[in-house]
Order: sequence, then structure tokens, then C-alpha cells
Amino acid sequence: MNRSPIALLVLTLAPALLGLAIFRAYPIGLALYESLYTTIAGERTFVGIENYVDLLTDAGFWKSLRVTLWFNLIINPLQVALALALALMFVQKLPGMAVFRLLFLIPIGISLPVAVIIWRIVLLPEGFLNGALGLVGLGPYRFLTSPDFALYSIIGIATWKGISYWMIFLVGGLQNIPPEINEAARLEGASAWQRLWLVTLPLLRPTLLFVLVADITINFLLFAPVFMLTGGGPRGSTNVLMYEAYKSGFVFGDMGRAMAIVVCLVAMLLVIVAIQFRLLSSAPPKEAR
Amino acid sequence: MSLRKALIYMAMVVVAFLFVAPLWWAILSSFRPNDAIFRDLFPFTPNALLPEPFSLDAYVAIFQRGFGSIIANTLLVAGLTTALGLVVNALAGYAFALFEFPGKSAVLGVVVVSFMLPFEAIAMPLYSVVSQLGWIDHVAALVVPSVANGLAVFLFYQFFREVPKDYYEAARLEGAGWLRILWSVYVPLSLPTCISAGLMLFIFQWEAFLWPLLAMPAQQFKVIQVGMAAFQDQYTTAWNQLFGAAVITALIPMLLLIPLQRYYVQGLAGSGIKG
Repeated sequence: MNRSPIALLVLTLAPALLGLAIFRAYPIGLALYESLYTTIAGERTFVGIENYVDLLTDAGFWKSLRVTLWFNLIINPLQVALALALALMFVQKLPGMAVFRLLFLIPIGISLPVAVIIWRIVLLPEGFLNGALGLVGLGPYRFLTSPDFALYSIIGIATWKGISYWMIFLVGGLQNIPPEINEAARLEGASAWQRLWLVTLPLLRPTLLFVLVADITINFLLFAPVFMLTGGGPRGSTNVLMYEAYKSGFVFGDMGRAMAIVVCLVAMLLVIVAIQFRLLSSAPPKEAR
Repeated sequence: MSLRKALIYMAMVVVAFLFVAPLWWAILSSFRPNDAIFRDLFPFTPNALLPEPFSLDAYVAIFQRGFGSIIANTLLVAGLTTALGLVVNALAGYAFALFEFPGKSAVLGVVVVSFMLPFEAIAMPLYSVVSQLGWIDHVAALVVPSVANGLAVFLFYQFFREVPKDYYEAARLEGAGWLRILWSVYVPLSLPTCISAGLMLFIFQWEAFLWPLLAMPAQQFKVIQVGMAAFQDQYTTAWNQLFGAAVITALIPMLLLIPLQRYYVQGLAGSGIKG
């Protein structure tokens, strides 16, 4: 390591860094650039911030933003809470746990589109869930075609698919907590509930924050279920911004508006990533492996 | 104490049921003829949980409709991405771990940030980049943008950093070049990291949906998630075939994940806890 020849550095670093620059960084710049243009009859003209101004006065955009925020306000706390409950079960040491652990991991191997196809049929008025609900005298419900249910059905499907994945991170965090701490609290007479709130959760905070923020990033950009199940409907009730941007650019050919929406989404996300870094770096350093 | 255990078991049984029931119904329905999918549900009988009457029609029809080539396409894309991605990202991780150069920590920081931002965030502007390159509807559009992966670079960097520097120095003294050292010292040590990163790249491509939807508008070359969604649009009420397609699509990554789950979990944990 007495010398690091430039040629060697370039050779090893260039492929990855070029790839990241062209296919990760440049698109962000390009989105900014294209959001300042509009395309009319194949002619691209510079319009400055007009696309953004139009968004501000566009009822469709505001409605879509409201749907996106409402969706995220529900799904993220729900997923993190359920993933935590799942993780707490996962680390139990009871007979038969190996089987449960395997079952808990199943949804990880299932892609979101697969989950969507299966659940679409399960949720049909004549499908499995309504059949099972019929046992207790409920339903049938129009889970996917009623404006009252559709968004919550998508939340349910994404949660069913997602929580095992987030559970893995939380299990990792739980296993990093030295068992002696919990043992000491137990000897002091703390109940299981007290140990959870006063010992486990504070120590798990960095992992919980990471999972919450990473989960928000994913759910802000959720696309496949809306595209495959509802097309934003019924009556715009599932029309999240990601789908609104897709429709603008790839259905109506208004790339300028699509890019302006994407820029807004990425800006919101960068704020979230920045918050993530602040919160995580202020957390006590863990695991000096 | 035993009440607590009973409650935990009850909760676990409920969760396991919620995870397994829809899948079980999907699997058994893929082995039923289409007109028998909703039988036994109204009123609900236990028969609804058995593949009866049994039929392989769905799978025969799926493959007649070209699902085989969709699987082959996806394996090609995911395999190429994994192979190229392992080489490119391991090289970068090696450089970050072993060499000092000005601005290193800043560049490394950018690499880390790049994997915090999901692919979906840049998919639409990436369409413009790839059409400038003239790759729309070419396999390159699916493979090349996914090869360089910040998470994979980071995993390799983390691992190579922990390898004692003595190994490198000793090999240098014996006159080995850097490529020899990487290949014969570092790579054999990093096999678990290679598996973690490789799985990550493979699963990422197998599950890709939005990007192939945008990048391949002609749909001549279909990958599996998009192919399945198109199948759903085209054969809306061929329930047993939709279930069959979903089962096959889930089965292939499962075959990798079940034996290798330890490595996958380690890779994820590496990205989260130390990221």
C-alpha cells in the first residue's frame, strides 16, 4: 500500500462509480431539467417553473398528495408496529419456533406483484375472504371496487407482503441487545411489559428509526398495487402521487408535469433521508464488530 | 407464565395462518379447473382448502401461452446482472477498502446515499437517460442500469476492510499483482459476502416491476413480474392460470432463498444496522 497507482484506482472504481453517476445521479438532474420544459406536439419548449406553478393550482395534484400522505400516515406506523410484534415473537425461545420462524419469513420470497395477484382473487366478492367472512355472517364486501375500501385493501396487501422484511432488521436489533440487561431488569422485578417499554424499546430505537424511515421511502413510491389493482380508482381514492406521475408522463405524454411530480417526491424523500442520517448519527454507536 | 406462553402461541398461530392461508388457497386453486375455483366458499366448507377436483390444466395453458420464455428472459436478465454486478461492485469495494485517495470518504458517502434512495424514485427520469442511449426495448436497458449497486459496493467494502492488511502486504512481498491478490486472497475469504450481494442483485431483478414496465414498452421481451401483470389484464378470469403464474413466479426465488436465507438476512442486516 506504499503507492496507489492512479490507473489501478480508475480501473477498479470507474465501472461502479460511472454506473452510479449515469443511472442514479444523472436521472435526478435530468428530472429537474425536464421539469422546466413542456412538450407540445413533439416540440419541447422551456417554460421555467410553470409546471410547478400549475401543480399548485391543480386540484388533481392536491387530491393525489392528500391520498399519498393519508396512505403513508396509516401504513408506516402500522407496518413498523406489526413488524416489531412479529420480531418479538420471532426471538422467543419456545418449542416449535423453527416452524413458526420459517412461516414468518415466507412473504419475503413473494414479490409484490405476486402478492397483488393472489390477493386480488382472495378479495373478490365471490373470493376466499368473503367466503370465510360468510362463516360469521359478514359481507360480502367489494374490497377493491368500493372507494371506502380500496385504499385500505392496498394497505393490507402491502403490509402482508412487507412486515416480514422489516422484521428481519428488528430481529437483528433485538439480538444485539445483551441478554444480561433484560435479565438484570427481570431480577429487579420488572414485568415483561415494563421490560419491553423501559429496556428493549429504548435500546432498539436506532433500528426502529432506520426501519421507519426506510419503510416510508418505500411506501412513498409504492406503485405496483395501484397500477395492477385499481388504476388510481375508484374515484381517485387510491391515486397516489407515484401513479399520478406515471399517468402524466406515460399515458398522457406530459413529461414536464410527470418530472415536476417526481422532483417533488424525491425532494420529500431527500428530506426524509437527511432526517434519517441526523437521527442515526446522534444515536449511540452500536456493535463495533 | 404458562398463560403468557399460551397467548404467544395463539398470536403466532394467527399470524402464521394469515401468512399461509392466501398462499395455500392460491396453490391449491392453481391445481383446480377454472370453473371450480370458487366452489365450496359459499357456504364455506373445509373442502375449500383441498385441491379437488384436481387438474393440471392451468400449468399446461400457462406454458402454451409463452410463460416459459418469460421465465428464461428473467433468468437471463437477473443472471447477467448478478454476474456483472458481483465483479463491478467487488472491485469498487476492494478499492475503497485498500487504497487511500483524496475525497475517499465523500465518494463513499455518496455511494451509501445512493442505496438509500429506492430505484422507483428515479425510474421515470431514468427512462429519459436510457432513451438518450437508444436502449429502450433492448435487454441492455434492464441489465446495465442495475449493475452498479451502492449496497453491494458497501457490503464488499465492509468485508474487505476487516481482512487483516498483513495478508495484502505478504502477498505484495511475494510479488503478486493486485488482481492476483484480489482473486486468490480476498475473493475466497468473501464467499458469504458474494452470496449475500449476489442474492440481493438477483432478487432485485426478479422482483423488478416499474422499470421493466417503462423500459420495454413494446413488450417483445417480457420479464416475469410485468409478464404476470399483463397476463392478468389479458386473461382476467382465468383464475387458475393466474394463480399458477403467481405460484411459479414465487417458487423460483424461494428455491434460492430457503437454502441461502442466512446470507440474505446477513446482507440486509449489514445494510441496516451499520448503514
